[in-house]
Amino acid sequence: MERSNTDSFRHSQYLPFSPTTSSHPSTPLAQKHASLPIPTPTTASSLSGSASTLRYSQSRKTIYDRHLNRSKGAELSKASFAFLFGEMVQYAQKRVSGIQDLEKKLNAHGYSVGQRLLELLVWREGRSGKRETRVLGILQFITNTLWRAIYNKPADALEKSRDHEDEYMISDNDPMVNTYISVPKEMNQLNCAAFQAGIIEAVLDSCMFPARVTAHSVPNETWPGKTVFLIKFEQVVLDREAEFIS
Amino acid sequence: MTIYSFYIFDRHCECIYIKQWHERERAGAAIRPTTSASTTSPIPDKRVSAGGKQITETDISMRNGRLSVQDDAKLIFGVVFSLRNMVRKLSTPDDNFISYRTNNYKLHYYETPTNLKFVMITDVKTNNLRVVLHQIYVNLYVEYVIARNLYVLMLNNYIAVEHSGGEGVACELFELGLESFVVRTLKLIELTT
Amino acid sequence: MILSLLILNKAGGLVYHRDFSNTFTKLSSNDYLVLAGTFHGVHAITARLSPFGPSSGGTPSSGLEVMESEHFRMQCFQTLTGTKFLLFTEPQQPNVDVILRRIYELYADYVMKNPFYQIEMPIRCEAFDRHLMAYIKPKQ
Repeated sequence: MERSNTDSFRHSQYLPFSPTTSSHPSTPLAQKHASLPIPTPTTASSLSGSASTLRYSQSRKTIYDRHLNRSKGAELSKASFAFLFGEMVQYAQKRVSGIQDLEKKLNAHGYSVGQRLLELLVWREGRSGKRETRVLGILQFITNTLWRAIYNKPADALEKSRDHEDEYMISDNDPMVNTYISVPKEMNQLNCAAFQAGIIEAVLDSCMFPARVTAHSVPNETWPGKTVFLIKFEQVVLDREAEFIS
Repeated sequence: MTIYSFYIFDRHCECIYIKQWHERERAGAAIRPTTSASTTSPIPDKRVSAGGKQITETDISMRNGRLSVQDDAKLIFGVVFSLRNMVRKLSTPDDNFISYRTNNYKLHYYETPTNLKFVMITDVKTNNLRVVLHQIYVNLYVEYVIARNLYVLMLNNYIAVEHSGGEGVACELFELGLESFVVRTLKLIELTT
Repeated sequence: MILSLLILNKAGGLVYHRDFSNTFTKLSSNDYLVLAGTFHGVHAITARLSPFGPSSGGTPSSGLEVMESEHFRMQCFQTLTGTKFLLFTEPQQPNVDVILRRIYELYADYVMKNPFYQIEMPIRCEAFDRHLMAYIKPKQ
């Protein structure tokens, strides 16, 4: 049930820590608890020092006790994500030498995200979800369900490479992770959408379609940030696909 | 629509005339009424000549820890000079900086072809006072100050007279003329805006 | 018509400079650096010259906000963090405040959120340039 932001502050048992971060719509469970005298959520109250600046649950419920559908359709502030992702990129940059390694590190970060996200998405499909066994099936799952879950829109294109049997390409005209990033000229082979590529790779690996996914920038006139995710499946997948056809 | 102060700087970068209608609040200074007999205005104001020889109230506001009037004048000159050069550099060399505004005051500037600089500090709501400054120059300064000094010049066989240290500027006629002109223009501008 | 934009960092150093028209004479980059430093000092002095002391008069004195000359007008927007945005426009340009706010928004987005930008260093963000030109060009 969706409730407005101010309602959730008034009735939630959490002490407000900042009115600017997006708050998830509160669950029906939260309404039953007695509401504490909450100061009106202004920045002054979060700086006043009288309330702690971390959100502590009064009834000791943790994030693991929340219902999994609670954050379905919830929105996250793009600025928050941009700052976090920027820090992630800087963190990785300090520990590697070279663009390839940086992309690998970002890919690894995305990999852990993708593994967990896949479980959540499949669970949310419920009875209507089924295990994908065909290459096209899993790719459709990625371009539609996965993209919609993260970005609220499907991917822009899905293509099969003509030269190589094992290569497919997913295009995104304006990957959201790259919105605020301008790569300096010395590093222009770097594409920070390697993070997104990691998510795709994790989803494919966990569904038993081992592959390697890389992100490549293909800027054009209308979309200077256009990115193509190149998916290179391993031989196992191709053999299995051939069996299906025959 | 209030005028706070008025300065004249000559082309040797010296301040030759200061007139303040508003006591700048210094740390702990009380506003002292002027005891000068030459002005009859009820507003406490300070008439100081930068030279030091004709200062009538030396002990007011000069020793209050914060900026003295002299320092103010120097700072104003520095600001005005830097801004003028900046404007000349950025745009054409004959461009002139007219005024600037902060959230508390507005400073108007007028420079004559002889490199004499007139600066007036007013409140924020005043419009362009360039014309007013030009009039002060033409009607008051030229007539009272320069004409008087030309007479002195004549007496001294045309040896060039400069207003070193501001002597000769703060003469009675100029003061009275300035005071009445400002009051009159203030009223005029108030009526028209 | 907007003539040019300068961005100064906290210490008064020039971090960004862009001309949008040919009205201003082209100066060398060193000239702009000197100009920026001079302006930083002038701005600090103008804050102190206020006829009101710092304690009275309501808000604390702010430093130069608008400067007019015969051929152009310069508006200075100082952020709470000490960064100054100088926008040079023609004297009759309306809505300069709105334009400055939008430029500040673009700065906060495409410069501050860029992980490859070092704070207080010269701005070399292609996305910032692109969005700035896209915003300013239609106004010319």
